[in-house]
Amino acid sequence: MDVGRHPNIDLLAYSEVESVEGEAGDFRVTVRKKPRYVDESKCTGCGACAEKCPTVTSDEYNLGLGKAKAIYKYFAQGIPSAYTIDANLCRNFQAGKKCGVCQKVCQAGAIDYKQEAKTLEFPVGAVIVATGYELFDARRIPEYGYGRIPNVITALEFERFLSASGPTHGHVHRVTDLAVQEALPEAEKTCQKAFKGLERFEKQFEMTSDAFYERYESGEFKGGDEDYEKWAAAVRAARKAKDELEELRRKAESIEAAHRLAFIQCVGSRDIRFNKYCSGFCCMHAIKEAIIAREHDRDAQVYIFGMDIRAVGKGFEEYRNRGAHEAGIHYVRSRVAEVTEERDHTPVVWYEDTKERVVRRMPVDLVILSTACQPSASAKPLADLLGIELNEFGFFKTLSHLPLDTTKPGIFICGCAHSPMDIPESVAQASSAAARAAQVLSGSGTMRLAS
Amino acid sequence: MNRDVLVIGGGIAGIQASLDLAEMGFKVHLVERLPSIGGKMAQLDKTFPTNDCAL
Ligand SMILES: Cc1cc2nc3c(=O)[nH]c(=O)nc-3n(C[C@H](O)[C@H](O)[C@H](O)COP(=O)(O)OP(=O)(O)OC[C@H]3O[C@@H](n4cnc5c(N)ncnc54)[C@H](O)[C@@H]3O)c2cc1C
Ligand code: SF4
Ligand code: SF4
Repeated sequence: MDVGRHPNIDLLAYSEVESVEGEAGDFRVTVRKKPRYVDESKCTGCGACAEKCPTVTSDEYNLGLGKAKAIYKYFAQGIPSAYTIDANLCRNFQAGKKCGVCQKVCQAGAIDYKQEAKTLEFPVGAVIVATGYELFDARRIPEYGYGRIPNVITALEFERFLSASGPTHGHVHRVTDLAVQEALPEAEKTCQKAFKGLERFEKQFEMTSDAFYERYESGEFKGGDEDYEKWAAAVRAARKAKDELEELRRKAESIEAAHRLAFIQCVGSRDIRFNKYCSGFCCMHAIKEAIIAREHDRDAQVYIFGMDIRAVGKGFEEYRNRGAHEAGIHYVRSRVAEVTEERDHTPVVWYEDTKERVVRRMPVDLVILSTACQPSASAKPLADLLGIELNEFGFFKTLSHLPLDTTKPGIFICGCAHSPMDIPESVAQASSAAARAAQVLSGSGTMRLAS
Repeated sequence: MNRDVLVIGGGIAGIQASLDLAEMGFKVHLVERLPSIGGKMAQLDKTFPTNDCAL
Protein backbone atom coordinates (compact mmCIF):
# COMPACT_ATOMS: atom_id res chain seq x y z
CA MET A 1 0.00 0.00 0.00
CA ASP A 2 1.70 3.18 -1.11
CA VAL A 3 -1.28 5.45 -0.49
CA GLY A 4 0.62 7.18 2.28
CA ARG A 5 3.45 8.20 -0.05
CA HIS A 6 1.80 8.82 -3.41
CA PRO A 7 2.60 12.41 -4.45
CA ASN A 8 -0.94 12.90 -5.74
CA ILE A 9 -2.63 11.69 -2.56
CA ASP A 10 -3.21 14.01 0.37
CA LEU A 11 -3.96 11.56 3.18
CA LEU A 12 -6.18 13.11 5.83
CA ALA A 13 -6.45 10.45 8.52
CA TYR A 14 -8.24 11.00 11.83
CA SER A 15 -10.38 13.55 9.99
CA GLU A 16 -14.01 14.17 9.18
CA VAL A 17 -15.81 15.94 6.37
CA GLU A 18 -17.78 18.86 7.77
CA SER A 19 -19.39 20.25 4.67
CA VAL A 20 -19.52 19.86 0.90
CA GLU A 21 -21.18 22.67 -1.05
CA GLY A 22 -21.61 23.30 -4.74
CA GLU A 23 -22.06 21.02 -7.68
CA ALA A 24 -20.26 18.62 -10.02
CA GLY A 25 -16.99 20.15 -11.22
CA ASP A 26 -17.08 22.78 -8.51
CA PHE A 27 -17.52 21.57 -4.91
CA ARG A 28 -16.13 23.36 -1.85
CA VAL A 29 -15.09 20.98 0.94
CA THR A 30 -14.42 21.60 4.62
CA VAL A 31 -12.57 18.90 6.56
CA ARG A 32 -11.83 18.85 10.28
CA LYS A 33 -8.54 17.21 11.20
CA LYS A 34 -8.77 16.01 14.78
CA PRO A 35 -5.76 16.51 17.04
CA ARG A 36 -3.58 13.41 17.50
CA TYR A 37 -1.40 15.27 20.00
CA VAL A 38 1.48 13.74 18.05
CA ASP A 39 3.17 15.55 15.17
CA GLU A 40 2.64 13.24 12.18
CA SER A 41 5.66 14.68 10.36
CA LYS A 42 8.03 14.01 13.28
CA CYS A 43 6.76 10.71 14.70
CA THR A 44 8.81 7.73 13.52
CA GLY A 45 6.37 5.15 14.87
CA CYS A 46 9.02 3.63 17.14
CA GLY A 47 6.52 2.87 19.91
CA ALA A 48 8.72 3.90 22.84
CA CYS A 49 5.93 6.16 24.12
CA ALA A 50 3.31 3.41 24.25
CA GLU A 51 5.71 1.07 25.99
CA LYS A 52 6.15 3.53 28.86
CA CYS A 53 2.60 4.93 28.96
CA PRO A 54 1.05 3.99 32.34
CA THR A 55 -2.57 4.06 31.14
CA VAL A 56 -3.76 0.63 30.05
CA THR A 57 -7.03 0.07 28.20
CA SER A 58 -8.58 -2.63 26.06
CA ASP A 59 -7.49 -2.89 22.44
CA GLU A 60 -10.18 -1.66 20.02
CA TYR A 61 -8.47 -3.04 16.93
CA ASN A 62 -8.54 -6.48 18.52
CA LEU A 63 -12.17 -5.85 19.50
CA GLY A 64 -11.33 -5.51 23.18
CA LEU A 65 -9.53 -8.88 23.27
CA GLY A 66 -6.10 -7.45 24.04
CA LYS A 67 -4.48 -4.50 25.80
CA ALA A 68 -3.60 -1.06 24.49
CA LYS A 69 -2.29 2.21 25.95
CA ALA A 70 -3.61 5.79 25.99
CA ILE A 71 -1.04 6.61 23.28
CA TYR A 72 -1.55 4.05 20.59
CA LYS A 73 -1.26 2.96 17.03
CA TYR A 74 -4.45 1.34 15.80
CA PHE A 75 -2.51 -1.59 14.34
CA ALA A 76 1.13 -2.38 13.66
CA GLN A 77 1.25 -1.79 9.90
CA GLY A 78 -1.16 1.17 10.10
CA ILE A 79 -0.78 4.04 7.65
CA PRO A 80 0.07 6.76 8.56
CA SER A 81 2.48 5.20 11.01
CA ALA A 82 2.14 8.02 13.57
CA TYR A 83 0.86 7.32 17.07
CA THR A 84 -2.25 8.99 18.51
CA ILE A 85 -3.13 10.03 22.06
CA ASP A 86 -6.65 9.21 23.21
CA ALA A 87 -7.52 12.34 25.18
CA ASN A 88 -10.35 10.51 26.93
CA LEU A 89 -7.79 8.24 28.57
CA CYS A 90 -4.48 10.12 28.74
CA ARG A 91 -3.79 11.41 32.27
CA ASN A 92 -2.63 14.79 31.01
CA PHE A 93 -6.14 15.54 29.85
CA GLN A 94 -7.89 14.52 33.09
CA ALA A 95 -8.57 17.31 35.55
CA GLY A 96 -6.10 17.36 38.42
CA LYS A 97 -3.83 14.71 36.91
CA LYS A 98 -0.39 14.91 35.33
CA CYS A 99 1.80 12.53 33.42
CA GLY A 100 4.00 13.61 30.51
CA VAL A 101 5.84 10.28 30.35
CA CYS A 102 5.53 9.91 26.56
CA GLN A 103 6.88 13.41 25.98
CA LYS A 104 9.93 12.53 28.08
CA VAL A 105 10.70 9.29 26.23
CA CYS A 106 10.02 10.56 22.69
CA GLN A 107 13.41 11.07 21.03
CA ALA A 108 11.78 12.76 18.02
CA GLY A 109 10.07 15.48 20.06
CA ALA A 110 6.80 14.56 18.36
CA ILE A 111 4.45 14.79 21.35
CA ASP A 112 2.36 17.97 21.45
CA TYR A 113 -0.30 18.02 24.17
CA LYS A 114 -1.40 21.46 22.95
CA GLN A 115 -2.13 20.41 19.36
CA GLU A 116 -5.51 21.67 18.17
CA ALA A 117 -8.05 20.55 15.60
CA LYS A 118 -7.41 22.02 12.17
CA THR A 119 -10.03 23.03 9.64
CA LEU A 120 -9.03 22.63 6.01
CA GLU A 121 -10.86 24.01 3.02
CA PHE A 122 -10.30 23.05 -0.57
CA PRO A 123 -12.18 22.80 -3.88
CA VAL A 124 -12.81 19.50 -5.70
CA GLY A 125 -14.56 18.53 -8.90
CA ALA A 126 -15.94 15.13 -7.81
CA VAL A 127 -16.59 13.11 -4.66
CA ILE A 128 -16.33 9.36 -4.04
CA VAL A 129 -18.04 7.93 -0.98
CA ALA A 130 -16.40 4.73 0.29
CA THR A 131 -17.47 4.69 3.92
CA GLY A 132 -18.04 0.94 4.04
CA TYR A 133 -20.18 -0.91 6.55
CA GLU A 134 -20.73 -1.80 10.15
CA LEU A 135 -21.49 -5.19 11.62
CA PHE A 136 -24.88 -6.06 13.10
CA ASP A 137 -24.85 -5.95 16.91
CA ALA A 138 -25.42 -9.59 17.86
CA ARG A 139 -26.82 -8.55 21.27
CA ARG A 140 -30.03 -7.70 19.42
CA ILE A 141 -30.68 -11.46 19.17
CA PRO A 142 -30.49 -12.34 22.89
CA GLU A 143 -31.27 -16.04 22.22
CA TYR A 144 -27.77 -16.45 20.79
CA GLY A 145 -26.19 -15.25 24.03
CA TYR A 146 -23.61 -12.84 22.63
CA GLY A 147 -22.37 -10.56 25.41
CA ARG A 148 -23.87 -12.90 28.04
CA ILE A 149 -22.26 -16.27 27.22
CA PRO A 150 -18.50 -15.65 27.04
CA ASN A 151 -17.79 -18.47 24.58
CA VAL A 152 -20.08 -16.95 21.95
CA ILE A 153 -18.06 -14.59 19.73
CA THR A 154 -18.40 -12.88 16.34
CA ALA A 155 -16.67 -13.92 13.13
CA LEU A 156 -14.60 -10.71 13.17
CA GLU A 157 -13.41 -11.51 16.71
CA PHE A 158 -12.57 -15.02 15.55
CA GLU A 159 -10.60 -13.48 12.69
CA ARG A 160 -8.39 -11.80 15.33
CA PHE A 161 -8.02 -15.13 17.20
CA LEU A 162 -6.75 -16.78 14.02
CA SER A 163 -4.22 -14.05 13.31
CA ALA A 164 -0.60 -14.60 14.31
CA SER A 165 -0.52 -10.91 15.27
CA GLY A 166 -3.76 -11.22 17.25
CA PRO A 167 -4.29 -11.40 21.01
CA THR A 168 -3.86 -15.21 21.11
CA HIS A 169 -1.09 -15.40 18.49
CA GLY A 170 -3.19 -17.59 16.25
CA HIS A 171 -4.21 -20.13 18.90
CA VAL A 172 -7.88 -20.86 19.24
CA HIS A 173 -9.08 -21.09 22.83
CA ARG A 174 -12.36 -20.75 24.63
CA VAL A 175 -12.80 -17.19 25.86
CA THR A 176 -13.34 -18.46 29.40
CA ASP A 177 -10.02 -20.34 29.23
CA LEU A 178 -8.25 -17.19 28.08
CA ALA A 179 -9.71 -15.40 31.10
CA VAL A 180 -8.18 -18.08 33.34
CA GLN A 181 -4.77 -17.69 31.71
CA GLU A 182 -5.01 -13.94 31.98
CA ALA A 183 -5.94 -14.07 35.67
CA LEU A 184 -3.03 -16.38 36.56
CA PRO A 185 -0.13 -13.89 36.80
CA GLU A 186 -2.25 -11.54 38.90
CA ALA A 187 -3.24 -14.36 41.25
CA GLU A 188 0.41 -15.39 41.58
CA LYS A 189 1.35 -11.86 42.55
CA THR A 190 -1.46 -11.57 45.08
CA CYS A 191 -0.48 -14.86 46.67
CA GLN A 192 3.21 -13.97 46.89
CA LYS A 193 2.39 -10.63 48.44
CA ALA A 194 0.08 -12.21 51.00
CA PHE A 195 2.77 -14.64 52.17
CA LYS A 196 5.40 -11.93 52.20
CA GLY A 197 3.12 -9.99 54.56
CA LEU A 198 3.32 -12.83 57.08
CA GLU A 199 7.10 -12.57 57.44
CA ARG A 200 6.92 -9.46 59.61
CA PHE A 201 4.82 -11.29 62.21
CA GLU A 202 6.97 -14.42 62.04
CA LYS A 203 10.07 -12.37 62.81
CA GLN A 204 8.38 -10.37 65.55
CA PHE A 205 7.01 -13.41 67.38
CA GLU A 206 9.65 -15.95 66.29
CA MET A 207 7.11 -18.49 65.21
CA THR A 208 5.95 -19.89 61.85
CA SER A 209 2.56 -18.69 60.71
CA ASP A 210 1.25 -22.27 60.57
CA ALA A 211 2.30 -22.99 64.15
CA PHE A 212 0.84 -19.68 65.29
CA TYR A 213 -2.47 -20.21 63.54
CA GLU A 214 -2.91 -23.71 64.98
CA ARG A 215 -2.45 -22.35 68.50
CA TYR A 216 -4.62 -19.31 67.73
CA GLU A 217 -7.39 -21.59 66.54
CA SER A 218 -7.26 -23.51 69.82
CA GLY A 219 -7.91 -20.23 71.61
CA GLU A 220 -4.44 -19.59 72.98
CA PHE A 221 -4.02 -15.93 71.99
CA LYS A 222 -7.55 -14.71 72.70
CA GLY A 223 -7.82 -11.18 74.07
CA GLY A 224 -4.08 -10.68 73.80
CA ASP A 225 -2.05 -8.40 71.58
CA GLU A 226 -4.06 -6.85 68.74
CA ASP A 227 -1.22 -7.92 66.43
CA TYR A 228 -2.36 -11.52 66.97
CA GLU A 229 -5.72 -10.66 65.41
CA LYS A 230 -4.00 -8.95 62.49
CA TRP A 231 -1.68 -11.92 62.03
CA ALA A 232 -4.58 -14.36 62.06
CA ALA A 233 -6.44 -12.32 59.47
CA ALA A 234 -3.32 -12.19 57.30
CA VAL A 235 -2.93 -15.97 57.56
CA ARG A 236 -6.53 -16.48 56.48
CA ALA A 237 -6.08 -14.08 53.53
CA ALA A 238 -2.86 -15.78 52.43
CA ARG A 239 -4.46 -19.24 52.59
CA LYS A 240 -7.44 -18.01 50.57
CA ALA A 241 -5.13 -16.50 47.94
CA LYS A 242 -3.24 -19.79 47.76
CA ASP A 243 -6.45 -21.80 47.32
CA GLU A 244 -7.59 -19.49 44.57
CA LEU A 245 -4.25 -19.69 42.83
CA GLU A 246 -4.26 -23.49 43.00
CA GLU A 247 -7.78 -23.60 41.64
CA LEU A 248 -6.73 -21.38 38.72
CA ARG A 249 -3.64 -23.50 38.10
CA ARG A 250 -5.75 -26.66 38.05
CA LYS A 251 -8.07 -25.04 35.53
CA ALA A 252 -5.15 -23.76 33.44
CA GLU A 253 -3.60 -27.22 33.32
CA SER A 254 -6.74 -28.79 31.95
CA ILE A 255 -7.07 -26.17 29.21
CA GLU A 256 -7.08 -27.55 25.71
CA ALA A 257 -7.38 -25.76 22.41
CA ALA A 258 -10.97 -25.14 21.31
CA HIS A 259 -11.54 -28.00 18.87
CA ARG A 260 -15.29 -27.96 18.34
CA LEU A 261 -16.44 -24.85 16.52
CA ALA A 262 -19.99 -23.94 15.51
CA PHE A 263 -20.70 -21.10 13.10
CA ILE A 264 -24.19 -19.61 13.05
CA GLN A 265 -24.97 -17.94 9.71
CA CYS A 266 -27.28 -15.07 8.76
CA VAL A 267 -27.14 -13.41 12.19
CA GLY A 268 -29.17 -10.27 11.45
CA SER A 269 -29.36 -11.05 7.70
CA ARG A 270 -32.26 -12.63 5.79
CA ASP A 271 -34.31 -11.93 8.89
CA ILE A 272 -37.45 -9.81 8.59
CA ARG A 273 -36.88 -8.46 12.11
CA PHE A 274 -33.56 -6.85 11.13
CA ASN A 275 -32.16 -6.88 7.60
CA LYS A 276 -34.12 -8.61 4.86
CA TYR A 277 -31.15 -8.85 2.52
CA CYS A 278 -28.35 -11.41 2.34
CA SER A 279 -24.99 -9.98 3.41
CA GLY A 280 -23.29 -11.89 0.64
CA PHE A 281 -19.85 -12.52 2.10
CA CYS A 282 -20.50 -14.27 5.44
CA CYS A 283 -20.96 -17.79 4.07
CA MET A 284 -17.55 -17.45 2.45
CA HIS A 285 -15.78 -15.99 5.45
CA ALA A 286 -17.19 -18.73 7.68
CA ILE A 287 -15.71 -21.33 5.31
CA LYS A 288 -12.43 -19.41 5.21
CA GLU A 289 -12.19 -19.24 9.00
CA ALA A 290 -13.02 -22.94 9.25
CA ILE A 291 -10.26 -23.84 6.78
CA ILE A 292 -7.70 -21.70 8.65
CA ALA A 293 -8.78 -23.09 12.03
CA ARG A 294 -8.25 -26.60 10.67
CA GLU A 295 -4.82 -25.63 9.31
CA HIS A 296 -3.84 -24.48 12.82
CA ASP A 297 -5.35 -27.51 14.54
CA ARG A 298 -5.76 -30.88 12.83
CA ASP A 299 -8.33 -31.87 15.48
CA ALA A 300 -10.65 -28.96 14.74
CA GLN A 301 -14.22 -30.00 13.99
CA VAL A 302 -16.32 -27.36 12.36
CA TYR A 303 -20.09 -27.17 11.95
CA ILE A 304 -21.69 -24.41 9.90
CA PHE A 305 -25.36 -23.92 10.78
CA GLY A 306 -27.45 -22.12 8.19
CA MET A 307 -30.35 -22.16 5.80
CA ASP A 308 -28.03 -22.81 2.86
CA ILE A 309 -24.55 -21.84 1.73
CA ARG A 310 -24.41 -18.98 -0.74
CA ALA A 311 -21.30 -19.53 -2.79
CA VAL A 312 -21.98 -17.22 -5.72
CA GLY A 313 -18.71 -16.00 -7.17
CA LYS A 314 -15.70 -17.07 -9.13
CA GLY A 315 -14.24 -20.19 -7.55
CA PHE A 316 -16.60 -20.02 -4.57
CA GLU A 317 -18.40 -23.33 -5.08
CA GLU A 318 -15.00 -25.02 -5.36
CA TYR A 319 -13.96 -23.28 -2.16
CA ARG A 320 -17.04 -24.60 -0.41
CA ASN A 321 -16.22 -28.12 -1.55
CA ARG A 322 -12.60 -27.71 -0.54
CA GLY A 323 -13.89 -26.75 2.92
CA ALA A 324 -15.78 -30.02 3.13
CA HIS A 325 -13.00 -32.23 1.78
CA GLU A 326 -9.89 -30.62 3.23
CA ALA A 327 -11.21 -29.11 6.44
CA GLY A 328 -14.00 -31.61 7.09
CA ILE A 329 -16.60 -28.88 7.49
CA HIS A 330 -20.06 -30.20 8.30
CA TYR A 331 -22.66 -28.00 6.64
CA VAL A 332 -25.77 -28.40 8.75
CA ARG A 333 -28.94 -27.21 7.04
CA SER A 334 -30.83 -25.86 10.01
CA ARG A 335 -32.45 -23.05 11.94
CA VAL A 336 -30.76 -22.31 15.26
CA ALA A 337 -33.27 -21.50 17.99
CA GLU A 338 -31.00 -20.77 20.91
CA VAL A 339 -27.57 -21.08 22.47
CA THR A 340 -27.40 -22.09 26.13
CA GLU A 341 -24.48 -22.48 28.52
CA GLU A 342 -23.49 -25.44 30.69
CA ARG A 343 -21.97 -25.01 34.14
CA ASP A 344 -18.45 -25.47 32.76
CA HIS A 345 -19.11 -22.67 30.23
CA THR A 346 -19.67 -25.07 27.32
CA PRO A 347 -22.03 -23.39 24.87
CA VAL A 348 -24.79 -25.61 23.47
CA VAL A 349 -26.43 -24.95 20.10
CA TRP A 350 -30.12 -25.90 19.94
CA TYR A 351 -31.34 -26.21 16.38
CA GLU A 352 -33.89 -27.68 14.07
CA ASP A 353 -32.32 -29.97 11.52
CA THR A 354 -34.43 -28.85 8.56
CA LYS A 355 -33.56 -31.90 6.48
CA GLU A 356 -34.59 -34.44 9.07
CA ARG A 357 -37.11 -32.16 10.77
CA VAL A 358 -35.99 -32.86 14.29
CA VAL A 359 -34.77 -30.61 17.09
CA ARG A 360 -31.24 -31.35 18.27
CA ARG A 361 -28.60 -29.97 20.60
CA MET A 362 -24.86 -29.78 20.04
CA PRO A 363 -22.32 -28.84 22.72
CA VAL A 364 -19.21 -27.15 21.30
CA ASP A 365 -16.19 -25.17 22.53
CA LEU A 366 -16.88 -21.90 20.72
CA VAL A 367 -19.88 -20.48 18.90
CA ILE A 368 -19.03 -18.00 16.13
CA LEU A 369 -21.69 -15.64 14.82
CA SER A 370 -21.62 -14.50 11.19
CA THR A 371 -23.13 -11.07 11.75
CA ALA A 372 -24.78 -9.00 9.01
CA CYS A 373 -23.16 -6.25 6.96
CA GLN A 374 -25.10 -3.06 7.71
CA PRO A 375 -24.94 0.55 6.55
CA SER A 376 -22.47 2.52 8.63
CA ALA A 377 -23.97 4.77 11.31
CA SER A 378 -22.39 7.75 9.57
CA ALA A 379 -24.30 7.06 6.33
CA LYS A 380 -27.34 9.15 7.27
CA PRO A 381 -25.52 12.28 8.49
CA LEU A 382 -23.14 12.02 5.54
CA ALA A 383 -26.02 11.67 3.07
CA ASP A 384 -27.64 14.79 4.57
CA LEU A 385 -24.38 16.69 4.39
CA LEU A 386 -23.79 15.71 0.76
CA GLY A 387 -27.42 16.14 -0.25
CA ILE A 388 -27.75 12.57 -1.54
CA GLU A 389 -30.35 9.89 -0.78
CA LEU A 390 -30.26 6.52 0.96
CA ASN A 391 -32.13 3.43 -0.22
CA GLU A 392 -34.71 1.42 1.75
CA PHE A 393 -31.96 -0.48 3.60
CA GLY A 394 -29.96 2.62 4.54
CA PHE A 395 -27.17 2.13 2.00
CA PHE A 396 -26.48 5.01 -0.43
CA LYS A 397 -28.99 5.11 -3.24
CA THR A 398 -27.70 4.77 -6.80
CA LEU A 399 -29.27 5.19 -10.21
CA SER A 400 -30.52 2.08 -11.97
CA HIS A 401 -28.82 2.86 -15.28
CA LEU A 402 -25.60 4.24 -13.69
CA PRO A 403 -25.07 1.92 -10.74
CA LEU A 404 -22.29 3.92 -9.02
CA ASP A 405 -23.88 7.36 -9.42
CA THR A 406 -25.72 8.81 -6.43
CA THR A 407 -28.78 11.00 -6.69
CA LYS A 408 -26.48 14.03 -7.05
CA PRO A 409 -24.26 14.46 -10.14
CA GLY A 410 -20.53 14.32 -9.43
CA ILE A 411 -20.88 12.13 -6.30
CA PHE A 412 -20.15 8.39 -6.65
CA ILE A 413 -20.28 5.32 -4.40
CA CYS A 414 -18.17 2.20 -4.18
CA GLY A 415 -17.61 -0.77 -1.87
CA CYS A 416 -19.83 -1.75 1.04
CA ALA A 417 -21.22 1.79 1.26
CA HIS A 418 -23.07 0.73 -1.89
CA SER A 419 -24.25 -2.67 -0.66
CA PRO A 420 -22.69 -5.75 0.96
CA MET A 421 -19.85 -7.11 -1.17
CA ASP A 422 -16.51 -8.82 -0.81
CA ILE A 423 -13.04 -7.36 -1.38
CA PRO A 424 -12.58 -8.21 -5.09
CA GLU A 425 -15.97 -6.67 -5.87
CA SER A 426 -15.20 -3.59 -3.74
CA VAL A 427 -11.96 -3.14 -5.65
CA ALA A 428 -13.70 -3.52 -9.02
CA GLN A 429 -16.34 -0.97 -8.03
CA ALA A 430 -13.67 1.40 -6.73
CA SER A 431 -11.94 1.39 -10.10
CA SER A 432 -15.27 1.98 -11.83
CA ALA A 433 -16.14 4.85 -9.50
CA ALA A 434 -12.70 6.34 -10.12
CA ALA A 435 -13.32 6.11 -13.86
CA ARG A 436 -16.72 7.81 -13.47
CA ALA A 437 -15.12 10.60 -11.44
CA ALA A 438 -12.40 10.99 -14.08
CA GLN A 439 -15.07 11.36 -16.76
CA VAL A 440 -16.66 14.22 -14.84
CA LEU A 441 -13.30 15.87 -14.20
CA SER A 442 -12.23 15.71 -17.80
CA GLY A 443 -15.59 17.00 -18.95
CA SER A 444 -16.40 13.96 -21.04
CA GLY A 445 -19.91 12.62 -20.88
CA THR A 446 -21.05 9.03 -20.77
CA MET A 447 -22.63 7.28 -23.69
CA ARG A 448 -26.07 6.20 -22.69
CA LEU A 449 -28.19 3.42 -24.01
CA ALA A 450 -31.23 4.75 -25.79
CA SER A 451 -34.23 3.97 -23.65
CA MET B 1 -13.70 22.75 -13.66
CA ASN B 2 -11.69 21.69 -10.59
CA ARG B 3 -9.61 18.57 -11.15
CA ASP B 4 -9.22 17.42 -7.53
CA VAL B 5 -11.25 14.59 -6.00
CA LEU B 6 -12.49 14.02 -2.47
CA VAL B 7 -12.59 10.36 -1.39
CA ILE B 8 -14.43 9.74 1.88
CA GLY B 9 -13.47 6.52 3.70
CA GLY B 10 -10.10 4.78 3.64
CA GLY B 11 -11.10 1.12 3.47
CA ILE B 12 -10.05 -1.07 0.56
CA ALA B 13 -12.62 0.63 -1.72
CA GLY B 14 -11.49 4.18 -0.88
CA ILE B 15 -7.82 3.21 -1.16
CA GLN B 16 -8.28 1.63 -4.59
CA ALA B 17 -10.31 4.58 -5.92
CA SER B 18 -7.66 7.00 -4.63
CA LEU B 19 -4.78 5.07 -6.18
CA ASP B 20 -6.51 4.80 -9.55
CA LEU B 21 -7.25 8.53 -9.70
CA ALA B 22 -3.78 9.48 -8.44
CA GLU B 23 -2.20 7.29 -11.11
CA MET B 24 -4.37 9.00 -13.72
CA GLY B 25 -2.85 12.26 -12.59
CA PHE B 26 -5.66 13.66 -10.48
CA LYS B 27 -5.00 15.12 -7.05
CA VAL B 28 -6.87 13.14 -4.36
CA HIS B 29 -7.85 14.16 -0.83
CA LEU B 30 -8.51 10.92 1.08
CA VAL B 31 -10.41 11.49 4.33
CA GLU B 32 -10.44 8.69 6.93
CA ARG B 33 -12.21 8.98 10.26
CA LEU B 34 -9.85 6.63 12.15
CA PRO B 35 -6.15 7.24 12.88
CA SER B 36 -5.17 4.80 10.11
CA ILE B 37 -6.57 3.63 6.80
CA GLY B 38 -7.35 0.03 5.87
CA GLY B 39 -10.93 -0.39 7.06
CA LYS B 40 -12.25 -3.83 7.94
CA MET B 41 -9.70 -5.54 5.72
CA ALA B 42 -6.95 -4.52 8.13
CA GLN B 43 -8.61 -6.73 10.75
CA LEU B 44 -8.76 -9.82 8.56
CA ASP B 45 -6.22 -12.61 8.81
CA LYS B 46 -6.39 -14.02 5.30
CA THR B 47 -8.94 -13.56 2.54
CA PHE B 48 -11.12 -15.96 0.58
CA PRO B 49 -11.09 -17.60 -1.86
CA THR B 50 -7.30 -17.65 -2.20
CA ASN B 51 -6.46 -17.46 1.54
CA ASP B 52 -3.77 -14.88 0.83
CA CYS B 53 -2.77 -12.55 3.65
CA ALA B 54 -5.05 -9.52 3.87
CA LEU B 55 -2.25 -6.99 4.27
C1 LIG C 1 -15.37 -11.46 9.58
C2 LIG C 1 -15.24 -10.98 8.17
C3 LIG C 1 -14.37 -11.61 7.31
C4 LIG C 1 -14.26 -11.19 5.96
N1 LIG C 1 -13.41 -11.87 5.14
C5 LIG C 1 -13.33 -11.52 3.83
C6 LIG C 1 -12.49 -12.25 2.94
O1 LIG C 1 -11.81 -13.19 3.36
N2 LIG C 1 -12.45 -11.87 1.62
C7 LIG C 1 -13.21 -10.84 1.13
O2 LIG C 1 -13.15 -10.57 -0.06
N3 LIG C 1 -14.01 -10.11 1.97
C8 LIG C 1 -14.09 -10.42 3.30
N4 LIG C 1 -14.90 -9.70 4.14
C9 LIG C 1 -15.62 -8.53 3.58
C10 LIG C 1 -14.73 -7.25 3.60
O3 LIG C 1 -14.58 -6.84 4.94
C11 LIG C 1 -15.37 -6.13 2.78
O4 LIG C 1 -15.62 -6.57 1.48
C12 LIG C 1 -14.46 -4.91 2.65
O5 LIG C 1 -13.89 -4.57 3.89
C13 LIG C 1 -15.24 -3.69 2.13
O6 LIG C 1 -14.37 -2.59 2.05
P1 LIG C 1 -14.90 -1.08 2.10
O7 LIG C 1 -13.72 -0.24 1.83
O8 LIG C 1 -16.08 -0.93 1.25
O9 LIG C 1 -15.44 -0.84 3.60
P2 LIG C 1 -14.68 -0.78 5.03
O10 LIG C 1 -13.66 -1.83 5.14
O11 LIG C 1 -15.80 -0.77 6.02
O12 LIG C 1 -13.94 0.64 5.04
C14 LIG C 1 -14.64 1.84 5.22
C15 LIG C 1 -13.69 2.89 5.75
O13 LIG C 1 -14.34 4.14 5.80
C16 LIG C 1 -14.14 4.77 7.05
N5 LIG C 1 -15.29 5.64 7.32
C17 LIG C 1 -16.57 5.27 7.64
N6 LIG C 1 -17.35 6.35 7.78
C18 LIG C 1 -16.56 7.43 7.54
C19 LIG C 1 -16.80 8.84 7.51
N7 LIG C 1 -18.01 9.34 7.76
N8 LIG C 1 -15.75 9.66 7.23
C20 LIG C 1 -14.52 9.16 6.98
N9 LIG C 1 -14.25 7.84 6.98
C21 LIG C 1 -15.25 6.99 7.25
C22 LIG C 1 -14.01 3.61 8.01
O14 LIG C 1 -13.32 3.99 9.20
C23 LIG C 1 -13.23 2.61 7.17
O15 LIG C 1 -11.84 2.82 7.26
C24 LIG C 1 -15.03 -10.09 5.49
C25 LIG C 1 -15.89 -9.43 6.38
C26 LIG C 1 -16.01 -9.87 7.70
C27 LIG C 1 -16.95 -9.18 8.63
S1 SF4 D 1 5.49 9.75 19.41
FE1 SF4 D 1 7.75 9.64 19.66
S2 SF4 D 1 8.06 7.84 21.00
FE2 SF4 D 1 5.97 7.71 20.21
S3 SF4 D 1 6.14 6.42 18.37
FE3 SF4 D 1 6.28 8.56 17.68
S4 SF4 D 1 8.49 8.96 17.65
FE4 SF4 D 1 8.25 7.10 18.88
S1 SF4 E 1 -23.88 -14.82 2.81
FE1 SF4 E 1 -24.63 -16.64 3.82
S2 SF4 E 1 -24.58 -16.17 6.02
FE2 SF4 E 1 -24.39 -14.24 4.95
S3 SF4 E 1 -26.48 -13.48 4.89
FE3 SF4 E 1 -26.11 -14.54 2.94
S4 SF4 E 1 -26.79 -16.63 3.31
FE4 SF4 E 1 -26.61 -15.62 5.32
